Amino acid sequence: MLKARKYILDLSDLQYKQVRLHWKVKVLRFLLFFAFSILVTFFYGTIFEKFFGSPKEKLLNQQLENMKLQYSLIGRELDNSMTYLNSFRLSDDNRYRPILNMETVPETYRKAGFGGVDRNSDLRGYANSDLLIYYRYRIEEIKSMANVQAESFKTITETVAEWKREMDHQPIISPVDVKFKLGDGFRFREVHPVLGTPKMHYGQDFEVPYGTNVYATGDGKVIESGWNSGGFGNCVVIDHENGLRSTYGHLSDIRVTQGMNVKRGDLLGLSGSTGISSGPHLHYQIEQFGEHKNALNFFNNDITEEEYNEMIQTLGSRSKLR
Amino acid sequence: MLRPRYKFNPHSLSFDKVRLSAKTLLFSFLGYFAGSVIISIIYWAVFASFFDSPREKALKREVAQLTLQYDLIHREMGNVESVLEGLQKTDDNLYRTIFEAEPIPSTFREGGIGGVNRYKALEGYNNSDLVIETAGRLDKIVKKIYVQSKSFDDLISLAKEKENMLRCIPAILPISNKDLTRTASGYGLRIHPYYKITKFHYGMDFTAPSGTDVYATGDGVVADVVSSKRGLGNNIVLDHSFGYMTIYAHLEKFNVKVGQHVKRGDVIGFVGSTGMSLAPHLHYEVKINGSNVDPVNYYFNDLSSEEYEKIIEIASKTGQSFD
Repeated sequence: MLKARKYILDLSDLQYKQVRLHWKVKVLRFLLFFAFSILVTFFYGTIFEKFFGSPKEKLLNQQLENMKLQYSLIGRELDNSMTYLNSFRLSDDNRYRPILNMETVPETYRKAGFGGVDRNSDLRGYANSDLLIYYRYRIEEIKSMANVQAESFKTITETVAEWKREMDHQPIISPVDVKFKLGDGFRFREVHPVLGTPKMHYGQDFEVPYGTNVYATGDGKVIESGWNSGGFGNCVVIDHENGLRSTYGHLSDIRVTQGMNVKRGDLLGLSGSTGISSGPHLHYQIEQFGEHKNALNFFNNDITEEEYNEMIQTLGSRSKLR
Repeated sequence: MLRPRYKFNPHSLSFDKVRLSAKTLLFSFLGYFAGSVIISIIYWAVFASFFDSPREKALKREVAQLTLQYDLIHREMGNVESVLEGLQKTDDNLYRTIFEAEPIPSTFREGGIGGVNRYKALEGYNNSDLVIETAGRLDKIVKKIYVQSKSFDDLISLAKEKENMLRCIPAILPISNKDLTRTASGYGLRIHPYYKITKFHYGMDFTAPSGTDVYATGDGVVADVVSSKRGLGNNIVLDHSFGYMTIYAHLEKFNVKVGQHVKRGDVIGFVGSTGMSLAPHLHYEVKINGSNVDPVNYYFNDLSSEEYEKIIEIASKTGQSFD
């Protein structure tokens, strides 16, 4: 469509004259229009924000809320980890260390490593500083606790190996089948059956016939094997570590050699009546750090003949496996 | 105000005065308004894509920092979880080595580390936090109700018995056993720690540090105090009358004398490792009319039904006894 031309009535000569605008006026008009439109925009914007808020801000706020939700999910994982750590700690404090006779890890050591210097300066100055610092603290705390726990478990694992070894080395079974009667025990004898003089009897005798199997009562190393000049005749002495030694006297036959490592239940030899002996029997003697102990306290008669044989077989098969 | 306007009419060749109706005025006003809104939106869009308001700037910084720290923590969490898994393995191995048995998973462990999120389906909605929490709480309440109803059952059956008998028959754990971590081995066939053969274990073992208090589990008279280096080691026998006897073995020290009257909960001695014992522990036996019974059935004052089930599980799974 053609643009309608505008005319204005000139009152001085009563003529219609076409309106012609100078370019300066046009520019001025445009600028005015522009300024006015900005003003209007500002006005609209203010009203809109007042009632609805800025969309961008809304979006950001939503992102913020989403992040917070993510944090709370992490928070749940942290709680979960904490429960784990506490369960490990309970195992540590109540199960393993008491059994192994170990001191528990002190609270101060477990809690050491956080707090003190403010390492959170980079997190300050935010609206959610508290949240950020809280989560950093929690994760640091858990990391440090996990490290302490790992160290503690490492120590325990090492100790368990020692403990097992020590357990296996204890002379703790009867050296002969439990079906045989016990003979003379750990006591002062007014009259020695052979020598006829008063003498301390440091061992425990077992009334066994010739050729009865004599077994090692705990793991150890054979430190003596052969003729004993002290009167035990053919004799085996085993060092069980921790200062413990067991002696098996008056044997008719010896099946181990000096320096040999033996396991509990290994056959050491056969009983007899060698040395200063009035008849076939086994003399079994225990020393701890050079002091004679009552061997009766180092085994228990809570086992039947069948169980004894089963035990020797089980221990023997274990011994062969190693 | 408004100068009158004229429009040239080519038909009549005259100038007609332009008359503006209310309708036209309204339309032109609406037109202007719509125009101004459109222009405003254009301005605003251009402005917003180049500049941020201070509040937006602060928010953006906030979001950026939260995201950064979240990523860091998330990564750390991954590390922590792998460390925890390692610890879990060590814990299980230690348990296996010491108790010769498969470890008992704790209820919370059953889901594994980082675990199954049973409320996953509820996430992602508005107020999902609230829903999750509520669902979780409901779960807890249901569990509590179950436990409560169980303990009421126990209570009713107990109430039927005589009051005096209630005081006398063993009804508590002989040592304090928070979280049941001190339970080691139960009644029944167990591998003997030294003999390595299966033997019947007539009592229940509780591992505890030497010197831990040992409690009388019911009112009674001290029937015997035995000092021994063999078998059960130092042990105490309590006579609770009604045919009930209890034995506390491997003690380090005694706190009672023969003939003394004791009340439930009295400290009668201290845990040790005397006699044939693998480690400091209490060996506890309950006898009725001279024959051994499973002590696990005599803790009803102390244990909730959940704990009761857990103690049975622990005690029954252990491969070896401690004496």
